[in-house]
Amino acid sequence: MTTPIELTELTKMYGTRRGLAGLTLTVEPGEVFGYLGPNGAGKSTTIRLLLDLIRPTSGTARVLGLHPRTDAVQLHRRIGYLAGDFVVDGRQKAGECLAFLASLRGGVPATRIIDLADRLDLDLNARVKSLSKGNRQKVGLVQAFMHQPELLILDEPTSGLDPLVQQTFLDMVTEAKAGGQTVFMSSHIMSEVEAVADRVAIIREGRLVALDTVADLRARSFLHVRITFAEPARAEEFIALPGVTDVRVDGNTLGCRVDGSPDALVKAAARHTITGLHADSQDLEELFHTYYAAA
Amino acid sequence: MTTTTARTATPTTPTMVPGGSALARAFGRTMFTKTLYDNRRIFAVWAIATGLLAMMYASFYPQISADAMANVPEAMRGFGFDDTGTAAGYLQGAVFGLLVPLLVTFYGAATGARMISADEDTGYLDLLLAHPISRTRLLLHRYAALAAGALLIAAATLAAVLAVRNSANLDTITVGNFAAQAVNLALLGLLFGAVATSIGAATGTSRATAFGLTAGLGVLSYALHGFAPQIGADWLRYLTPFHYYIGGEPLRHGLQVADAALLAAATIALIAAGAWRLNRRDLGR
Repeated sequence: MTTPIELTELTKMYGTRRGLAGLTLTVEPGEVFGYLGPNGAGKSTTIRLLLDLIRPTSGTARVLGLHPRTDAVQLHRRIGYLAGDFVVDGRQKAGECLAFLASLRGGVPATRIIDLADRLDLDLNARVKSLSKGNRQKVGLVQAFMHQPELLILDEPTSGLDPLVQQTFLDMVTEAKAGGQTVFMSSHIMSEVEAVADRVAIIREGRLVALDTVADLRARSFLHVRITFAEPARAEEFIALPGVTDVRVDGNTLGCRVDGSPDALVKAAARHTITGLHADSQDLEELFHTYYAAA
Repeated sequence: MTTTTARTATPTTPTMVPGGSALARAFGRTMFTKTLYDNRRIFAVWAIATGLLAMMYASFYPQISADAMANVPEAMRGFGFDDTGTAAGYLQGAVFGLLVPLLVTFYGAATGARMISADEDTGYLDLLLAHPISRTRLLLHRYAALAAGALLIAAATLAAVLAVRNSANLDTITVGNFAAQAVNLALLGLLFGAVATSIGAATGTSRATAFGLTAGLGVLSYALHGFAPQIGADWLRYLTPFHYYIGGEPLRHGLQVADAALLAAATIALIAAGAWRLNRRDLGR
């Protein structure tokens, strides 16, 4: 099976401004790959390079084993693309638009379009300009999924969708993966990709800052612990414990952060009478923010 | 035999996507026909308006020739208003010398600016080019639709003047010569359409800029063609498309193949240059 996406030292300059700086990453066949980063980090730049809408300043991109520029037509047949700001000519009806885009692909079974539209609750008889942003996004999703491409490249696919439709979208991604399709989707919200992504890349200012499986990212996260004692808590008993940082004392309550095993903390606390215990795992969103903030 | 059974067992499935008329569906098969369909009203309005104006001004000929405006200002000689005594002279002045060519120039500028620039402005071009269609192919399909519109306008103009040919005493001009003038008219529209399309394709500039530059170039070259004789620089006329459009006087002498070929060659060169640059640049947002 060919590697869906392989980027080597991919760099894109816009004049003197850097869009992407030496990005190297590989997306494996059949995986759902989350591509995260704040606005302006280079997500759309990467995606537009993959589709040959813009050309790299240096470095190479291989998509489905082919060259984005020289094999563009052949490649686009095998890719489904949803732009970050999906735009079509507003004068046409949704169904008319989709039928035309299907023709550009040499035809897609009408039932496939109708089924997807039904699923997303999209009215194909509505004129595009009369649709809300969310409904317009559904047109974008249908056109990306309709020809069951080997590779789906989705730029902020859930923007504008209500939670119910977001769930339908996630189901569609899960099914695509089950059918052997590869999905590359960008987002600036971790929770959006967390549910479906196998691996997640985080980029910041055009550089890769983290690349891992969702499970490993989760394992890397720490615990927020709050213990309430029967008598006033004493910080010095806990400060030196392994993995414990950020110790705060407020009357009978001790708050701290635990990296790795909480064993030492629990054993130290057990010497006292405990009236309350609270532990929160740091969510991925928070972890994601630490990557954003890191200089 | 088993295959027959299998086929009958297949449930009947809807074969059409709802939304859009049968006509919209039929025209939605290619980029070219889709562009034609999306522009059907605009193209029709251009053709009808140009045809009606041409017909109206052509039918003024009997009054004008009776008044025999011999005293045309010297400054206007270059614009072709110096001979209103003959049908060909009159038509080369007001109708085919001023009104219709400027309308067609603006048609080319306005439509050409929408073929690439307008969709690049909105971001729709990104979506289209993420489909299996090369940039060159997209450009050619779009331009072919513009060309069909220009042919429609020229045909409507021809039909309009032929309709009043007898009643307005224009029958000293043969149908063939009218057709020759209409061919040049279409070529003029194709040329300015190519200018606007290629400015957009080559530079990625906005629709307004592509239109403005082309319309400005059109008006400027029209003025240059008109005033060149007054400033004693007749040779300047050879630099403007209007010379090749009307300088050979097709209404009197029929189709001037070299002039027509020159207009066509310039058009092809412009489109080729636009496609060449479009293939080599980043698409804008």
